[in-house]
Parts: sequence; structure tokens; C-alpha cells
Amino acid sequence: MKRRSVEAEARIENLKRFGACLAGGFVLALMVGTQEGTQQDFGYAFRQSVAMPRILIFLGIGVLLYLAITFGPRAKPYLTRPGLRPLGAGVLTVIISLTLLKWTDSPQINTGKFRPLADAAAPTQALDSLARLWFGSAFSQTAWLLLIIVTVLAAAGMIRRSAPLSYAAAILAGVLGIWAEYASAAVSKFLHYPSHATGGAVAMLGFFTIAVASLVSARSQAAEADTDGFIDRVLGWRPGLALVVLGFAVGLVGVFNAAWFSPGDRNATLSTTASMFGATNLNGFAQTYLDWLGFVLFFVTLVVAGVASYLRHRLLAYAAIVLGLVSTLLTLVVVHDFSALGGKQGFDGAQGAWDNLGTGAWMTCAALSLFAGAGYLVLKDLRIEAKGVRAGSDIVGSGTAGARGQVAAATMLVVIIAALFYPPTATEFWQTVLVSEIGIYVLLAIGLNVVVGWAGLLDLGFIAFYAIGSYTTAYFTGRLPVQPPDWLLLSPLACIPFAIAACLIAGVALGFPTLRLRGDYLAIVTLGFGEIIRVIANNANGFTNGPRGAFNIPAPQIHLGPIHLTWGDSALGFWYLLLVLIAIIVLLFNRLENSRLGRAWAAIREDEVAAQATGINTRNVKLLAFAIGASTSGVAGVFFASQVGSFTPENFVLNNSILVVAYVVFGGMGSLPGAMAGAAVLTWLPEFLKDQVPAEDRQMWIGALILVMMIFRPAGLIPARRRKAELSGLDRPSSAEATAVPAGEGM
Amino acid sequence: MTATAPEQQTAEVVYDVKDVTLRFGGVTSLNKVSLQMHRGEILAVIGPNGAGKTSLFNSLTGVYTPQEGSITLAARKGDTLTSVLGQKTHVINRMGVARTFQNIRLFPALTALENVKVGVETRQKSGPIASMLGMPWQRREERESTEKAYELLRFVGLTRRANDLAGSLAYGEQRRLEIARALGTEPGVILLDEPAAGTNPNEKQELAALIRKVNIEDNISVLLIEHDMKLVMSVAHRLVVLNFGEKIAEGTPEQIQKDPVVVAAYLGTSEDEAQAMTEGLEVQTIDVREGLLDEPGAAGTEGGQS
Amino acid sequence: MHPVQDFLNFLILGLTRGSLYALIALGYTLVYGVLQLINFAHSEVFMSGAFGSYLVVNSVVEDGSRPPWYGVLAVIILGLTSGGLVGAGVAWCLERVAYRPLRRRGAPKLAFLISAIGASFFLSQLFGKLFNRLNNNNFPSFFDQNKHVVQIGGVYITLMQAIIMVSALIMMVFLDSLVSRTKLGRSIRAVAEDAPTAALMGVNIDKTISRTFVIGGFLGGAAGYLYGSALFFSNTMGFIPGVKAFAAAVLGGIGNIRGAMLGGLLLGVVEATVPTAPWYKPGWIGIEWTDVVAFLVLVLVLVVRPTGILGERLGRAA
Repeated sequence: MKRRSVEAEARIENLKRFGACLAGGFVLALMVGTQEGTQQDFGYAFRQSVAMPRILIFLGIGVLLYLAITFGPRAKPYLTRPGLRPLGAGVLTVIISLTLLKWTDSPQINTGKFRPLADAAAPTQALDSLARLWFGSAFSQTAWLLLIIVTVLAAAGMIRRSAPLSYAAAILAGVLGIWAEYASAAVSKFLHYPSHATGGAVAMLGFFTIAVASLVSARSQAAEADTDGFIDRVLGWRPGLALVVLGFAVGLVGVFNAAWFSPGDRNATLSTTASMFGATNLNGFAQTYLDWLGFVLFFVTLVVAGVASYLRHRLLAYAAIVLGLVSTLLTLVVVHDFSALGGKQGFDGAQGAWDNLGTGAWMTCAALSLFAGAGYLVLKDLRIEAKGVRAGSDIVGSGTAGARGQVAAATMLVVIIAALFYPPTATEFWQTVLVSEIGIYVLLAIGLNVVVGWAGLLDLGFIAFYAIGSYTTAYFTGRLPVQPPDWLLLSPLACIPFAIAACLIAGVALGFPTLRLRGDYLAIVTLGFGEIIRVIANNANGFTNGPRGAFNIPAPQIHLGPIHLTWGDSALGFWYLLLVLIAIIVLLFNRLENSRLGRAWAAIREDEVAAQATGINTRNVKLLAFAIGASTSGVAGVFFASQVGSFTPENFVLNNSILVVAYVVFGGMGSLPGAMAGAAVLTWLPEFLKDQVPAEDRQMWIGALILVMMIFRPAGLIPARRRKAELSGLDRPSSAEATAVPAGEGM
Repeated sequence: MTATAPEQQTAEVVYDVKDVTLRFGGVTSLNKVSLQMHRGEILAVIGPNGAGKTSLFNSLTGVYTPQEGSITLAARKGDTLTSVLGQKTHVINRMGVARTFQNIRLFPALTALENVKVGVETRQKSGPIASMLGMPWQRREERESTEKAYELLRFVGLTRRANDLAGSLAYGEQRRLEIARALGTEPGVILLDEPAAGTNPNEKQELAALIRKVNIEDNISVLLIEHDMKLVMSVAHRLVVLNFGEKIAEGTPEQIQKDPVVVAAYLGTSEDEAQAMTEGLEVQTIDVREGLLDEPGAAGTEGGQS
Repeated sequence: MHPVQDFLNFLILGLTRGSLYALIALGYTLVYGVLQLINFAHSEVFMSGAFGSYLVVNSVVEDGSRPPWYGVLAVIILGLTSGGLVGAGVAWCLERVAYRPLRRRGAPKLAFLISAIGASFFLSQLFGKLFNRLNNNNFPSFFDQNKHVVQIGGVYITLMQAIIMVSALIMMVFLDSLVSRTKLGRSIRAVAEDAPTAALMGVNIDKTISRTFVIGGFLGGAAGYLYGSALFFSNTMGFIPGVKAFAAAVLGGIGNIRGAMLGGLLLGVVEATVPTAPWYKPGWIGIEWTDVVAFLVLVLVLVVRPTGILGERLGRAA
């Protein structure tokens, strides 16, 4: 009797799941359906979305989902084979590059994506024949066909655990990767257009991932994968070697293939640039660099860094660092020299220093810095080892922790180097996005992370401090109806201390009466505060200029003795300024997290009563969190004001506050890299999606992404160590308490 | 019932509680309770469930403010008696009172070391700006707090777990860690709220030794709430018995065990507890003898030798 | 100028607005009661109620038609129920998708908030995509909304105001007795008071939470219909009333049903009367300061009484 009811329950559960999957398919159909109408044809889009043939496809997706969930456990032993996860990632990367990414920026190809490019390239006789083959054949694009073949081959190798198949797949994937990049380069050479497009490179990356996955599978004895452990082992084996390999790949393209100088529609690689300037009076050193020194520097540094990380040699590691940094600097000097000269000579409309540059120089710089980074990792490893020896057996499990630390350090170096050398190669659009969306929100997220992530206070009015920072700047630069005294008119950067002070005062003024409120109350009060600040900005015409906002705020300038820096021409300059600000703040906050105050924050977040009983003045500590977060936001405000030049109260709507909270939590509450990554991803994504989905739908997709993320990974993208522990259910040993009391013991 | 402090303790008063009455709505949880705690003694507060022990603790530490009566404190040697009524918890902590909780309240996502450091650091000065800039004096304080925290972990025998998350420690270890954290704030008085709840007999022995060690080595007065009679009788110098929010007895363990009022109070609640009471008597004598002959070696003293 | 008369008219306006806030606030407060969470997506429940009821009402009556009074009544009831049902359905889905999985994982509180924010973005934009993104959709007009049903001197109540206040009152009375009298109400209160104990006593926590969402969603959806027919509706209409209603719930003491009703009415009245109160001097602070006044009142109340006017617990006060 009871057994049957269990069966019946299972059946109902099954039915529910089926229904949910169908509903999911239905919603998906709505999400990618046609656009909206007017009030007259109200619901038209809805009817179109659920029109007959379309809906069947999406319900089919629902059924597939259902099957995957129901029969997933049965396939699990196969799905955990070594290499299968990386294979999936690689295939996905290639698919993304073939569907979503641009393969060329040339206006001759309408969207620049793979499909239209292939349609145009396949019949072009003048194009390199290998490249033509890549883009087309009688059947379809060869690329897709080969992707399918290599995927099937690799998957078969993994599931049947057959080494020969896996080796074959690895070789094929490697060849395909090179082929993809080759075809992409051939097109860009053919079109004579300086290419910022990433499609070919990403496809190469994807194919290489497939190759590595197959190699892993071929070499692995285990039936079950431990991908994370594997990555840790590989990267921890010879610290820095991964960076050297990456630098080698990037640098190779940079030195030999990519354009260094591209005035007009010329795409001069390093050697072509050298011959271009051969006849000019370019200074001796730069000419030498272009002629041969560049190549030599690259290879020497490569060898030094490679040997240093293989042998873990201290002196060589120092040499790699010095060589890498010095040659990066030299490269920058040379680039400046020849582009300035090119501008003066007016090569095909070259515009002057730092202009008309291709990606080559920046890739070379990135590669050289990566070599230096590899040297740094080697030194770090040696230092950890020395420490470990000294501390003896006291540090338990330092081996894996060390490897983990190395992975984190390597990732951080790659991110920093990318932040330094990627932006110059990006299009103007992306440079603007980097500054006015990604960068600013990263800064705001860092600030809010102090309040929400570390101190555990939910602040929904964070953008108010940003507004205060912006208006302070507008005031001290004399762009508001009320003017400061003449002697107090400041350059925007000089406003930073004042903005910090204003935000500190506002933060304390808000926090003092309200911080004794519990979480949710605090949320609504801060939300109200944000609204109040905005409404005041909007309505206090005499002071804030009302809805028209402030305009003509000057760009920042620095005049320090012989150094004169001015911003304003390009987003790029602002990007580096912002990078400096972020770097300073991250360094400071990183110390703070592991200081007395950081631990006190963690304590009140975990257990306020216990924190009080331990002697922590909770209100002061909370106020400090509020004030520090607020002043970071104020700094962001100063930067924003002087970067955009004009703003209105509409820039500070409530929605933005909520978005920043979402970024922080999405990235991983309480983790500095997490908050930054969250902000970067969620601000980058809408801009990226701009090309892929209708602009109006972006928020919908973002919303869905946040939702899914929270369901499957509530700790965020990069969970904080402390937060992770909270989530993994380590809390109170209540079960121990229940079982540990022997009966009859105690009174 | 006069307060008879054992001779080895000074007669100096640490906590002076006079006629304290605490009400919640219509419920009176403490009714005209008076007691004096002397410097250097281990004073236990016992009583059946609901007798008002935890209310007393919370009144002493500023969580509750009693409606009537006075509580004055001179936690550290040389302090003058100051009222604690209406003071915030953290201020009372600064005056030299540290406590542990009945249901352990550590910071589970911090490591054991960090937990103790939080306690130690509430006595430090360096501010956020010094921390951000890494000023020399801040670095020195940081080093000092780490050293002190390690010392305390060694004291309670948790050196090996220093870098483990507090939440992952075993139950008895968490109890000891809580004591270490409390000691980190350099208290003159430590209040232990049922430290033995949920620990096994072995851990209880360790705990008893630890309490004595805290009392003797650090010269800290200990106020103890405990249900476990064996433990109370073996470590306490003096006992105060509460029942229904009133003090019904006070005296040395021997006096209390013979006190008819106390026995009646326990009989009134349940036979088991009354039995535990008398059992405690027998066990206690043995325990004390053990304590006199040799300090129990197993008792949480892994690092104690150094 | 009749200051007193103006004031009374604004007072009535405030009461109307306040009863809508109260209806929405009930949704926040009910969910907060059982889950101790701010259901940030409740404003989208409100919005979906407006769209849902529009589809129904629009197919029943034509714009400009003038049905007899019982027809009007029937259509209004139809609008309320259809709005309520759509709201309830959306709220139910919301609980299933955005809350239950996180609850199963024991996610931190903020994760719930963020998933609700995600759901809120998603719903509001999905509705915009499916229907339209105009911000001034109107319900078909089938009765004279501005007819004065009560008029004493210069003080009057329009038909629409009367409909809003009466239907809100009916629903609130109904809810109050539902929570205090029925078995469902008892289990809601039990879960609000102490969920683990309630579970031990045989209350099905999941079901109770689900039903609480449904009840709150119904009220929110019905409020969406009323709001939409009195003013306008759009896919982003939920945000501002949602925030205000949340403030109202906190004002009254979140988790407390009568507190939400009181808080809603109070907030509506303060908002309508204080910034416009004409007897101070002409153009005293002006309508544009409405939001500031609303939030200042909230902050003041909370500073004086940190748990809201009527205090917190759902179980105790209902």
C-alpha cells in the first residue's frame, strides 16, 4: 500500500517536472519571439511568439530538457570522463565565435560575423585558397563541418576511452585552430582593414581547448575527471610556464602577423613598418628596434622566462622581470616615436603620436609583460617554498593552497595585463564602454562591497553618494548656479578630497540615526535616502540647476612641475586614469580586508551579539563601513563628472543603486575580485548583447541571467572565502549538540 | 547564609549585585537578587531551568537593563566599583568583562586564529587609514595580535586548528575557542554560560582543568553557569543557587549540597535532577582529590608545556 | 480659496492612493511574515495584474460604451478577479522559480533579494516585449470615472475613488478574516511565528509559503487593475508604487497585516496632504517633493520606532 503511494508520488513528481520543462520552453519561445506592438494590436507579439510551428520547436527544447534532467543521472558516469567538461567549453567557445562574434570590422561585410563573411569570402577568387576552403564549400561552410567532426571524434575518444581516437582529435583540433586564425588573418589582409575583430582568435582558442581536452583524455588513466584538480596541478607544476606559453602565442601573432602601423588602409606588420620608415629620419634606436631588435628582445625574453620557470631559477626570474618590463617600455617608446614621426610626415593621413596603431605593438607589449609576470610567479613560488620550509609542518596542506594561490596570481596578472594592453586595440565604442560603463561600475562595486559584502549592511541608496561626488565636482569647478569663492575653483582631480569629505559626512549623517535598524529597514531607509538626494538634485533649481543638471565640467588636468597631463580627447586616457584610481583603491582595501577593521566587519556580519560581547563597538564599525563605501562612491562620482562633462539627476536614478547591489552579489559578496568581476561582466554583457539581441530586450536577458545565476550559484561568480564558509553549512554544530549529551548527564 | 569566601581569595569585590529585579512584561525573571563576587574566585550560579541564570548573565553584561537594583563592577585589579546599568555590551566588555554563550556564538566563517584576533584587537588602536596605508605601528599591532592569539590558542590547546574555520571545529573545540576569544579581550572577569553543555565526559574534564587554569594562571575571576553538577562541584569555590528568579542559597559546594532548601528546590523540579545533585556530591570529592594530586594531564594542555 | 475644502479633497485623494499602497503592501508584508524576505519582484506582480485584467476587460467591453450600472459592476468585479488571478499566478511562479530553489540551498538572504531583482527585471521587460513598452496604456472607458458620487460643499468623492476605496476595503476585511479565522490563516501565522515548530506540528511549510504568495499576488494583481483603470498602465508601472508600498509596509511594521493597511493609508495621506497643504502659504513645498516627504516620514517613524508603528510579528497582530 505504502509502496504504491511512493510510486504515485514519483509519478506526480515526474509529471510536474515535465510540465515545468514545457513551461520553460514556452517562456523561452516568448523571450526570443517577435517584438512588441502598440496598444491597438496589443498582444500581437504574444500571438506571434506562440504561433504554431515556432512553439513546437521550443516545446521540443522543453522535452529535451526534461529528458536531460530525467536521464541525466544515467549518463553521469560518461559525463564525468576526463576532458569532457573542457571539451564542452571548447566547443561552446567555437560556436560562439562562429555565431556571435565579429570576424572582421570592415564595413564591406554587413555585420562582420562569420556567416556573411563566409558568404562573401567563399566565391572570392583572389583570396588565399586555404582561407577560401575554410569559409566555404559546396555543402556548407567547412568550418562548421570540421567542428562537428572534431567534436564527435573527441567525444567518442573520451566516452570509449580510446587513446588513438583522442590523439587524432587532438591533432585535428590543433590544426583547425591554426587554420581558423590563418583564415581570419588572410581575410583581414585581403580587406586591408585594421582588424579589431576577435572571431578568429576566439575560434583558435576554442579549438585549442578541444585539443587539450582530447590530450588530457588520451593521457588520463582515471575514469572520472577532476578538472579543477587537474588545472591546479598543471598550473602549479611550473609556476609561470602557463604565462610564458600564453605570452608566446600572443607575442608570435604580435611580432609576425598583426599590424603595427595602419594609416589609411595599410596594415603594416613589424617588418613592413621597418621598411616604411627606412627612408625617413626616424631616430636610430627606434629604427633598430623595428629592423631587428624587436624580434630579438621578444625571443630573448621568451627564452629567459621559459628557462626561469622551468628550472625555477631565482636569478633568471629576476632577469625575466627586468627584461620583460624594460622591453615593454622600449616598445612603447618606439611606438610613440614612429607614430609621431608618421603623423609629422603625413603617411596616408597618419594623425600623430599614439594614433593609427594596429594591434601588433600592444600584443607584443602584453607578451613581454606576461614574461615578466612569469618571472614574478617563479619568485613568489620560491618565497612560499622558503617560508614553508621554515614554518615546518605547522602549515597543513600548504601544497594545494599554494597551487591555488599560484592560479589566482596568474589569473590576476593576465587580467591586469589585459586591462593595460587590450583597450588601445579596441574600437572606440568599446573604449567608451570600458570607461563610462565597466570601469565606473567596477569602482562603485568595490565601494559597495565594503558595505554589503564585508559589513553585511544592505544599502539600496548607494548611488546617492555617487551623485554627491558628482555634484561636489560640479560645484568646485564652478559649474553650478551657486559658485564657490574664486580662490576655491579647482581642477576636477583636486575635488577628490572634497568629494570624499562630502560623502563621509553624508554617509555618517545617514548612518548615525539609521544604523541601529535591522537589515531590511536599513534597506528601505537607504533606498529612501537615494531617492531624496535625486529629488533634491532635480528640484533645488537654485542650487543644482534642476533637471538640466551640470554641464561643461572640465576634464582633469595634472600640472606638476615639468609634468603636464590633460585628458579629454579620447576615452583611452580616461581609462588609464581610472585604472590608476581602481588600482590604488583595491590596494588600500585589500589591506583593509585583512586588518583589524576587516575582521571586525566579518564578526558583526556573522554574529552581531557575539561581536558586541567581544567588545566591538558595532555602531562605529558599521559607520566606518558606510563612510568608506560612500567615499569610494564619491571618488567614482568625481571621475564620472569630469569624464562625461555634463550630467543630470537622471544619471542617479534608483535603478542604478539596485544594479550595483546586483553586481556585487552576482560577483560574489565580500570578495573584492568577485565584486569587480560581477560589475565587469554585467556591464559588459548588455553592450555585447547589443549586437546579438534587440536593444530593448537586453534587460530581460540580464534579468534572466541574474535569476539563473542565483538559483544555481548563490554565492556568486567568485565567492569570498569567508562567505563560502557561511554557505557550505558549517555553521553551528546543532546536530553535535543534540547527540553529544549523554542521557542522564547534567541536571 | 553569609558569604563565606574561601581564604585564598581576597575579599575585594568584583561584581556587586544589589537587589536586582528584572521583568519582561508581567514575568519577573529576577526578583531582588543580590550577590557579591570576589576577586580571584570561581563563582558558580546554579538552579533549575528557568531559574533566571541567563537573565542574570545578560543583566551583568548589559544585554538587559534591570528595572530595579544596582550592579557595580570593578573587573580589573585597582578598578573602582562603577555601575554597569544602562551601559552597552561592548562598553562593559571594555571594562573587563568577557563572556561565552550557552549556544556557542563564534564567527564560524573566520578561522580559529581570526576569531581570537577579533577579541585581541578590540584592545588595539590603529584606525582604518593606518590599516589601508600599512603604517608601521599598525603592522606592529597586527603582529602582536597574531602572536597573542597564537599564545591563547596554545593556552586552550587549539594551536593545530589555528587556520581551520571556526565552524569546522568539533564541539568541544568550539567551546574552548570561545573561551580563548573571550580571554583575548584581557578581561578581569570571565562569564561562562554553560560551557559544558553538549560536551562529552572527556571534554568536560579538559574543560574543568581549563577553567582552573584560567582562574589560577591568568588570575581571572570566573562566573559560571552550569547544569553539570560534577563540573560545578569540582571547580567552583562558591555557589549561588537561583530558583524562580530568587536567590535561595549561597555558599561553598559542601554547604550547598547539604542545604535542605536547595535539595527541596531540586526535588521540586524532578527526581532526576535531585539525584544528580547527590551524585554530584560523591563525584565531587573524588574530583577534588584528583585535582589536588595531579593536574589532569589530558586536559587541553597540548601546548601547555611550553 | 477654501483651504479646508482643498485639504479634505487631498485627504480623499490620499486615502485612495493609500488604499492602493495598502493592497500592494499586504503582498510584501505577507511574504515577509513567512519568509523574512523582501519580495522585490512584487511590483511586477502588480504590473502583471494590470496587463492580465486589461486583456479580459478589453475583450468584454468596448471603449466608450455605457453599460447599465449592474454591467459596470460586473465588469469591475471581473477586472478585479482577473487581475487578481493573473497576479496570483505570477506570484506562484515567482515563488517556484526565484525563491524555492534558493530556499532549498539555504542561500544567504541577499541572494534571494538579488534573484528577486533579476526576476523583476525579467518580468517587466518580458511584458514589455510581449505587449508594448508604451507608458500610457489605458483601460477602455465604460463609465464616467469622475462622476461625483458624494458631494458635500466643495468636497467630493469621484466614482473611481469610491470604487478603489470600497474594493480595497472589502479585500482587506476579507484577508483579515482569512488570516485570523481559517485553517490556512492559522498555518500562515504558525509559519510566520516559528517555521520549524510549525513543520513539527504538521504544517506543510512549502505549501503554506506558496499560498501566501498566491494571496499576496491576488491582492497585488487586483491593485494593478484598480491602478491601471484609474491612471494608466505600462510594463514599468510597478516600480514606484512598489517602492512606496514597501515603505508603507515597513512604516506599519513589516510582517504585520494591519500594520501594512495602516502604513499604506498613512503614507498615501501624508503624501497627498503634506506637500500640498494649502493653509501654510501658497505653493508651500510643492507636489514635486512628494517622494521626499514620504521617505522622510518613513525615516522619522523608524528612528523613533525601529519596528514600525504596529511592531513586527505577523502572528501576533493579525
